[in-house]
Amino acid sequence: MPDYAIETENLTKVFSTRWPRRALTAVDNISLRVPAGSTYGLLGPNGAGKTTFVKMLLSAAHPTSGRAVVFGRDSREPAARAPIGYLPENHRFPTYLTGWDMLDFYGALSGMTSSARRRRIPELLAQVGLDERAWRLRLGKYSKGMLQRVGLAQALMHAPKLLVLDEPSDGVDPVGRKQIREVLHALELQGVTIFLNSHLLAEVELFCREVAIIQKGKLALSGTVLELTSGSGYRLELASAPETLETELRARARAATAVNGTLSLLFATREEANHALDEARAAKCEVETFGRTRSTLEEVFMKTVEGE
Amino acid sequence: MIPTIALIRDTFREAFARRIFWGFAGCCTALLAFLVFIMRIDVVAGALATVSIFGRAMPTTDVQGLVQQTQSVIAMAMYFFGMALAIFASAGLVAAVFEPGRIELLLSKPVSRTRLLLGRYAGNVLVVAANILYLTLGSWIIFGIKTGMWGAGYPVSSVFTIFVFSVLLAVIVLIGVLWESAAVAIMVTFGIVIVTLILAQRATIERLLSSEWSRDLVRILYYVLPKTSDIGVIIRHLILNEPVDSWMPVWSTALFGAAVLAAGILHFRRRSF
Repeated sequence: MPDYAIETENLTKVFSTRWPRRALTAVDNISLRVPAGSTYGLLGPNGAGKTTFVKMLLSAAHPTSGRAVVFGRDSREPAARAPIGYLPENHRFPTYLTGWDMLDFYGALSGMTSSARRRRIPELLAQVGLDERAWRLRLGKYSKGMLQRVGLAQALMHAPKLLVLDEPSDGVDPVGRKQIREVLHALELQGVTIFLNSHLLAEVELFCREVAIIQKGKLALSGTVLELTSGSGYRLELASAPETLETELRARARAATAVNGTLSLLFATREEANHALDEARAAKCEVETFGRTRSTLEEVFMKTVEGE
Repeated sequence: MIPTIALIRDTFREAFARRIFWGFAGCCTALLAFLVFIMRIDVVAGALATVSIFGRAMPTTDVQGLVQQTQSVIAMAMYFFGMALAIFASAGLVAAVFEPGRIELLLSKPVSRTRLLLGRYAGNVLVVAANILYLTLGSWIIFGIKTGMWGAGYPVSSVFTIFVFSVLLAVIVLIGVLWESAAVAIMVTFGIVIVTLILAQRATIERLLSSEWSRDLVRILYYVLPKTSDIGVIIRHLILNEPVDSWMPVWSTALFGAAVLAAGILHFRRRSF
């Protein structure tokens, strides 16, 4: 199996209009590699080009230049889409179909035989938390959350190796979200690559190992969540520090605050932080916290987006 | 093959859900019921004894003439009115596929775009063909049982009706791919049908035109566009068991349909959604 589930090389999409000056570059020269078996999040503000990028992976949109490769095959080949399961964001599933019929239809389009579909459908519908009454209900009668669940089941129908999910928990209640996360975690353990396009940064941070941030069609930032959220300093929090020590440490720290008797100090280097820790220990201070500072993915995202 | 069958089955399901199929089938069944229960034909020793509709005796000629004339009326009604209804119904079925949120999911499957479009096209043709064959074969069997007349012209004529519908459906597909609009597809298709009906009178039109270039234009349009009126005449000849003068209207219409469908496929393959 190739090392990368997704590889894009200078992928570009320009939507041309009748007026050349008004041409819109939705995706601009993006080169990205998503390792096979990873959980990868694609982030970006509205209109950043995320959906166009995903559409090019699925060959629903054709690149103006560059190329997208899925498990070693050019995404324009129909066979390249065989290992992909996809849940679109603003899906419009045929409302005349029941949950069962819908899975049967999309399973057949993926080339599954009738007997394989019959075996797989009840298993999947139960897995995404849809009861038997819902199986025979027309999709027109489904709630938003139920549609998301059946949409996820549809994406999993042919046991894909790569799952591309566009806002998978949109409209789903917290219990449902947890259920979807559990399904995705189980797939992750089975080695399925999960490519998540979501606005819910906390969800991405909780689930994805790696992320990329797209801004105005360009790749602004990419890396592991751990790398991107690790801060540049070290934090030491002490309870009941003697006044002389507090004055001394405050003078050496990059920042310091004291709230309810807890002194919070921020040091630039590990050496400085360790030295301060030794002194606090020698002065018999109680240590509340010691460690590297971290930022949230939201902070990283905002910094990237606002920094443009 | 599995994806193609799935696409055809999906088109039937959508036609069922939109009541298109059942609407057509209901009209056909009503006509067949009329022929079975209301129209009474008594044939005695191969000659027509009486024909009665709603219990009233009708003036008649001979058995074969009556059957052929009735079949011809049914076939023409199906050819023009049935076709108009089929165009209205099919335009929505084609445009629905291109709805955002639906097309992306279809394109994400390991099926070529050509197959996706042809699968939907074939499904649509089969939905209409099923109803045309139901009415034609149903009425043919009723006439056959009641009169013993089993001429092949009438069932064969239904193939030509389905053929012309499939050509006009190619226009609907092309417009659907270009503009994703059922309304535009209906307008353009009816526009073509009306123009072809006018062009069928090209001999008269050419006499009325003063310049040679305008006469050439009429001729070009006549040969390029489908010949709905001329094929209607062929259908009538077939039912009345008369010789067909020329098959040119059929093959030139087939060429038009193939070219338009190919253009639709080509554009669909190139399009970004």
